[in-house]
Amino acid sequence: MVLGGLYALFAVGLTLIFGVLDVINVAHGEFFAVGGYLVFAALVLLHLPPAAGVAVAGLGAFLLGLAVYPLLIGPLKRRLGRRPAGSLYLVLTLGLSTFLQSSLLAVAGGEYVRVPPLVSGILEIGSTGVSHQRLLVVTVAALLLAGLFAFLRWHREGLAVRAVAQNPEAAQAMGISLTRIFVLTLGLGAGLAGVGGALMAPLFNVYPAVGFPLTIKAFAITILGGMGNLVGALLASLIIGVAESLVVMAIPSQWQNGVAFVVMIIVLLLRPQGLLGRATSR
Amino acid sequence: MLEVAGLRSGYGRLEILRGASLRLPAGSIVGLIGPNGAGKSTLLKTIFGYLRPFAGAITLEGRSLVGLRPDQIMQLGVGFVAQAGGLFADMTVHENLLVGGYSLGSRGELRAALEDVYARFPLFRERRQQPAASLSGGEQRALALARALVIRPRVLLLDEPSAALAPRFIEEVYETIRALNRSGIALLIVEQNVEMILSVAHRVFVLDLGRNAFDGTPAELRGSDRIRRLYLGEGSRAGIPA
Repeated sequence: MVLGGLYALFAVGLTLIFGVLDVINVAHGEFFAVGGYLVFAALVLLHLPPAAGVAVAGLGAFLLGLAVYPLLIGPLKRRLGRRPAGSLYLVLTLGLSTFLQSSLLAVAGGEYVRVPPLVSGILEIGSTGVSHQRLLVVTVAALLLAGLFAFLRWHREGLAVRAVAQNPEAAQAMGISLTRIFVLTLGLGAGLAGVGGALMAPLFNVYPAVGFPLTIKAFAITILGGMGNLVGALLASLIIGVAESLVVMAIPSQWQNGVAFVVMIIVLLLRPQGLLGRATSR
Repeated sequence: MLEVAGLRSGYGRLEILRGASLRLPAGSIVGLIGPNGAGKSTLLKTIFGYLRPFAGAITLEGRSLVGLRPDQIMQLGVGFVAQAGGLFADMTVHENLLVGGYSLGSRGELRAALEDVYARFPLFRERRQQPAASLSGGEQRALALARALVIRPRVLLLDEPSAALAPRFIEEVYETIRALNRSGIALLIVEQNVEMILSVAHRVFVLDLGRNAFDGTPAELRGSDRIRRLYLGEGSRAGIPA
């Protein structure tokens, strides 16, 4: 469930960005890494309390995400006009990914960074125990995702995000600024990844490329859930998280990272649109 | 109220409109007709800011609309209903109307505007939690109209409101159009169904190959043998009543 919660925070943000902007954000993992480094800076260097550290990480990644559209995607979109982008956004965000990794390397160095647990203690359940840190990951992920879904369901700007995802031209006709929604969506997606990075930092070592493997796995989760489908991404995250945890009980752990892709391939062969995707999309 | 003069526009380098002009006086219904590919929908999209004109002027009460985005033009009181309705299919009826009121300033204003719309379209109050995609074709077109009314527009641009509708739904949609006009809204309607548009329009423009081919009242159009023969004539696909 811990892995599922992490994947959900990460993949739902990635899926939201794809659904609204039609952009596969290869740099998504770097927001996760930024979150990890920010929580390290907040806790270890500035001695802030853990909750403030997580908030700093989420806010920092959110602000960084806000800058991506006006600085990168927007200018390219304007230059392209009505011409199809093809794989240009993929290349653009790959460039951003490399730039952010290099920046983290330059600022923080290539050494692994260890972040102390945000909470200590173990919850005993029968003969086994679960660390409070892992429970915190699951709880915060669940709360944040519930908040995101509530925002999209009931808030004025959340409805606008959904409207743009479904029909950008019609959304404009309702007075919605596409630029505003694109900026907000990238900020939200990045913020979720940043919080994910902050929560997982005590469980993993933090290094500049820590988020990249997660990005690749999140692509598999996004495809598995159905491209652009948030509920599908959530469901797929939980399936992959639980499958990865269970499979290491039966086979060597080296196979763990391949589980997501094996499940993705099987589902794609049986149901090419993914679990909750539609047969055709815009 | 709304004036278009010498408009040249199109897609990329492809010029569709080659100097089209029209006038939509306050409180009137103007019909825009012509053969397929004449540039009717391109004209509406250019007025509403989806396309940037190559040349020409578009003004609303003297203010230029050229260079404004659709969301900015909408905030000036211009509504647009796309040919297929442009509903948010995965949202409920109520959510579609809420998005229609996105630009309204306060919750109170939005609530009052939604009440007005529900009063005008009681069916949607009953079906407010129903997904928009589950409505019939005619109901979807009516919902698209209702959604455009939430902001209480002064001008409505309608792109083929009767397209792909069964005859009884076309009557309903046009009854709504008449009612909207009686409430003071000016409507510019692109339409293939010539008979219907001539029954409601105060003035008609015929476009051909991106240029004005006729400008007059429905009665004048009916009296013009040349226009009827060339663009709408008897025996042709448009078939207007003489």
